[in-house]
Amino acid sequence: MRTAIVAMALLAATTLGQQPVSVIEQRIDRTQPGSTLAIEAGVYEGNLQIRKPVTLVAQGDVVIDGLGKGTVVDVLAEGVTLKGFTIRASGDSVTGEDAGVRVLAGRAIIEANIILDALFGIDLRESPRSTIRGNTVVGKDLEAERRGDGIRLWWSHDAVIEDNIVRNSRDMVFWYSQNLCIDRNRVSESRYGLHFMYSHDTTLRENDLEGNSVGVYLMYSNSITLVGNRMRNNRGPSGYGIGLKDCDDIAISGNALLANRVGVYIDNSPSSMDSTGIFQGNIFAYNEIGVLATPNTHDNVFTGNAFIENEEPAATHGRGELHRNAFALDGVGNYWSQYAGFDLDGDGIGDVAFEPRSLFGQMLASEPNLRLFVHSPAQRAIEFTARALPELRPRPVLVDPAPLARPPVIEVAFKGQGVVGSIPMALLAMGLLASSALVVVFLARERGLDSRIARGAT
Amino acid sequence: MTMLTMTGPRAATHVPPSHRRAVLTFARREFRDAMSSRWFVLYTVAFTLLAVGVSFLSLSGSGSHGFAGFGRTAAGLLNLVMLVVPLMALTAGAATIAGERERGTLLYLLAQPISRTQLLLGKYAGLSLALVCSLCIGFGLSAGVLAWRAGGVGVGSYMVLVGLTAMLAIAMLSVGVLISVVSRRTSVATGLALFVWLVLVFVSDLGLMASSIVFQLRVQEIFALAAVNPLQCYKMGAIVHLNASLDVLGPVGAYASYTLGPAMPWVLSGSIVAWIVMPLLLALVLFNRRRSI
Repeated sequence: MRTAIVAMALLAATTLGQQPVSVIEQRIDRTQPGSTLAIEAGVYEGNLQIRKPVTLVAQGDVVIDGLGKGTVVDVLAEGVTLKGFTIRASGDSVTGEDAGVRVLAGRAIIEANIILDALFGIDLRESPRSTIRGNTVVGKDLEAERRGDGIRLWWSHDAVIEDNIVRNSRDMVFWYSQNLCIDRNRVSESRYGLHFMYSHDTTLRENDLEGNSVGVYLMYSNSITLVGNRMRNNRGPSGYGIGLKDCDDIAISGNALLANRVGVYIDNSPSSMDSTGIFQGNIFAYNEIGVLATPNTHDNVFTGNAFIENEEPAATHGRGELHRNAFALDGVGNYWSQYAGFDLDGDGIGDVAFEPRSLFGQMLASEPNLRLFVHSPAQRAIEFTARALPELRPRPVLVDPAPLARPPVIEVAFKGQGVVGSIPMALLAMGLLASSALVVVFLARERGLDSRIARGAT
Repeated sequence: MTMLTMTGPRAATHVPPSHRRAVLTFARREFRDAMSSRWFVLYTVAFTLLAVGVSFLSLSGSGSHGFAGFGRTAAGLLNLVMLVVPLMALTAGAATIAGERERGTLLYLLAQPISRTQLLLGKYAGLSLALVCSLCIGFGLSAGVLAWRAGGVGVGSYMVLVGLTAMLAIAMLSVGVLISVVSRRTSVATGLALFVWLVLVFVSDLGLMASSIVFQLRVQEIFALAAVNPLQCYKMGAIVHLNASLDVLGPVGAYASYTLGPAMPWVLSGSIVAWIVMPLLLALVLFNRRRSI
């Protein structure tokens, strides 16, 4: 690592010209507050401290290299703008919380920067009304326990966090920060994509959270709205698309939860008696479990959602059922791809309630190890037995009195989604068929076989 | 070369074929016999129809969101394979020697200037090829449906699925051949094959489920016991490839992927290979030892 940095530094020194960051600091010292400084291309080494409200704009390829020590850029004045820089190689001290960019004053604008090899990416501390827009943050290549957060807010209200990309990090985490605007960020290969701690009154729109341990984890945070977010392939021992822990007044609508271990995990949310959690018009597809809730969970309403091909549409974490939650609102339930009922009057609402009863699912709730046998004929045998013998029939885990007969049209934009190319598949199909046909023709054509064997005996 | 009891008169003009050629000749004969066997064709047609049906139904239901998840397509194909393919391979293997023995043609075949090992290997190779061909037809048409509807499983994963299924079929064929060698009559061999099928597909899993609850087995014990069953290995291997993550299989899967890591596919396919090699070796030993025809 160290040699790589030295090599990079040497290379940069010969090609770009390498200077200490004090060059930038001296220029800041010479300007008036509020003015704009264009920084020429090159590599600037050391820890930059910005103590005056200025706008720093990178002209071309400007690298600020912390050389693996401390925080690379410290913003100490209110109203600083930092735009277009490549900021790399912070220290890796967990106690020092070394960061790529640390902001200690409000109204900062951190825009279009690339932050590489930093323990924490962008760290906002008590910096209200700041904007973090269009940055790319790639964390240090450390084991999960030693990583820092890609973007962290601490007591920073009214901030705008949009269009950022975070990879290989711990969380994008919001502590005690209210009234945020969190749009179109992408977090992947991290622990919790968007993590809320005691942060209230925020709307999350169109964020992409893929391949994390948990997509969005809301803890002790109230009045949060999620609209049009995509949580894909968040797996592992937690593996939730959305996790809710003691949160009141949550509204989750128009989101896509795809191929997570658990689509939505609800742990005692809402926690107050007079609060309601709303889940409306979301897609829950290809998850192992669509909705998983602790048995004490109550007062959540699910309406107009599409539950498509989840191994279990809903389950409780432990024994019990989800009867203290509603799966229909004003006569509109949800679409369940397992629903085997009918809609004779053609009003789009199934005439029989959806009551999933799975003996295997019930067994899984008390014996999680049995999940090994999922997708096997033995599982089918158990479900068949439960249908054939009414004594073994488990109680339904939920009741949807008005299931939708057709999947609702839910518009969630999928950009850059790799649709499996059909041409390679067609080629594969042809290859398989042609090779087997060739073998059959080649071997069956030989008419002299029996006669040859027969000749041996005659 | 084992000297055989010559029961028929030998033609003086006959030139003995080379060893390899003898195996190939029997392989071809077996392949042709399989292809013209009513049961084999029926299994192939059934498997093909079911595979195409599963792919078609699972894709037409809800639209795929352009997303390659471990959805109903993969799960359905897995279930289908685990039911049909062992049945097909076990019964085909069980019929091969026992059938010849019952019809009296085994005597005739053993009268040829080849060893029993060559005869058995030839038959085994021919049947393996026939099975793989039959699987390729089913998977090929099913891939055609997937390509037409543009969704479901990725090409690489699909090829791995086909390869794993071929391995499973050949392993089950080994067991079938072993049954065939020790059975005097076709009906007995088929009965035994069905029994073994029932045990591998249902009884062992259900038994393991029951014992894991009753004896509170630890995850490593459950995994070790499950990995003995080639069907479980096939399923785990397929899920590893289709999903790249075994947490689909709960704590046991998580334990397995944590402890084995990248060695996982090798352990699983190793178990299937053991099921290919060991019954076949045993069958060869027994067939060579068994003097009665």
